[in-house]
Amino acid sequence: MSLLRIFFSSAVFSFKAQFSWLYPPMWLAMKLVMSLSQMSFFVFVGQFLITTGSADTNLIAYIAIGNAVQTLAWNTVFSVINITSHDKWDGTLPLVLATPAHRLPLFIGRAMLHVLDGMMSVAISFVYAIFLFGVNFGNTDALALIVTVFLTAFTMAGFGLLIGGFSFYFRNPLVFANIFTFILLIFCGVNFPVQQLPQPLQVVSYIFPLTYGVDAARRAIEGATLTDIAPLLGQMLIVGFIAIILGYILFRSFENMTRKTGQLEAV
Amino acid sequence: MPQTLRVIYSAFRMAMLHWIADPQWVIPNVIAPFVFTFVALTLFKEASGPFGLYAVLGGGMMGMWGNTLYSSGFAIEFEKWQGTLEEVVATPSNLLHVIAGRSVSNALFGLTNMVAILLIASLVFKVPLGVANPILFALSIVLTLLSVSALGLIFASAFVLSRYAQVFTNGLEFPIYVISGSMFPIALLPFWIHPASYLLGPTWGIEAIRIAAAQESVSVTFCLNVGVMLLITLAYVIIAAFLFKKVETKSRRDGTLVQA
Repeated sequence: MSLLRIFFSSAVFSFKAQFSWLYPPMWLAMKLVMSLSQMSFFVFVGQFLITTGSADTNLIAYIAIGNAVQTLAWNTVFSVINITSHDKWDGTLPLVLATPAHRLPLFIGRAMLHVLDGMMSVAISFVYAIFLFGVNFGNTDALALIVTVFLTAFTMAGFGLLIGGFSFYFRNPLVFANIFTFILLIFCGVNFPVQQLPQPLQVVSYIFPLTYGVDAARRAIEGATLTDIAPLLGQMLIVGFIAIILGYILFRSFENMTRKTGQLEAV
Repeated sequence: MPQTLRVIYSAFRMAMLHWIADPQWVIPNVIAPFVFTFVALTLFKEASGPFGLYAVLGGGMMGMWGNTLYSSGFAIEFEKWQGTLEEVVATPSNLLHVIAGRSVSNALFGLTNMVAILLIASLVFKVPLGVANPILFALSIVLTLLSVSALGLIFASAFVLSRYAQVFTNGLEFPIYVISGSMFPIALLPFWIHPASYLLGPTWGIEAIRIAAAQESVSVTFCLNVGVMLLITLAYVIIAAFLFKKVETKSRRDGTLVQA
């Protein structure tokens, strides 16, 4: 019971903390504007190729769906890594580390409301894809798509925790938040298939849960059932859990190091 | 040196020194343009036509805009956190000139993105990058840089009074990439967006850069694009000067600078 209480407190406080700098109407405006402008940018780039006969019209749906799913990275990667930034800037890190609370629910809990927030971002982006860019969702297996989006958000939050754990060792975690949110556009098959990347980079693609999630979401929208995409989701879960465990190990080792060296604020 | 230029130069130099002291800050400002350009180059890889040029030059313009927004948005927020904004506003120097120096400096940093993109485009993607008229090309880049900086000044005036400069900084970055047609012809955009595109100096600037890269001679279209961009830039500066005066007076009178 105590572990659950820590988990939920950590989830609520970490999410609420972002509103110390982000006014709620602004949060909503950002959610509406950023996903639309990112998707539009790549859709128009794709449209440019189509108008010159260099690409098939299916490219629009490919890009729109990929970017719609990638928007959850703003919540589950950028925001989750930024928890570390704000713990450092706002001086709350010593307080967090001074509590006797069990570290595992405390660590995992901080990302959990961002999972729901990320799912909301994807839903908004799907609306854009349907009504602004004419993507056909007629064959979609709704259950498969909802489960895919949830698991992608959850495992990407695990990835955010991993990079957040790694960022504890650096003075400016915001830099990592930016890098790891954007490089997903290159590695995860968001705008073009992973196979178009040079061979060595393709290996890197499969360490990101989003690569599996984007692929599964496209298949669910084409009508694949949960059973059809289960292997993909299974692989994604394995990658996500490994990320969470590694992130937790990094977090604990940072805690141990700072207790020994007293360098909590100096790092 | 006239006082105005001295202030602009000092702010420019200070921003450069900040960058040298802590170069990691350039990453958040160039990562999006860099990644967007990389993705566009990959999409354009198999296509024949002027795509490579669109991607590389558009990426350069996006880098300038990303950094300008940083100087006018996040940099002001940062000064608020550190408590130095009051000192900057309290100096007898005009705040507009201080921000102008920073904007130009940061837009210049944005060009580092163009260099990185040029290297990747030529070495990895084998994009032919011949420039037909290097002088006009360089001229149009410099003028676009000034236009982007002037646009940043307008936003900066609002950011001085707002608590949410950082949020606006993030929110304004991508829409400008789309509306200015940085990597595709604006004809592809819905017609109701076109007026907004034409009000942006970078829209005309990127077109002038593309023309200079593709044509040897000075064409009427090039002159038209440069001329309109200069007029728009002048309008930006006049509007920014007016807004800064208002903002400075209001913040001094109400004492709201710190609470903002």
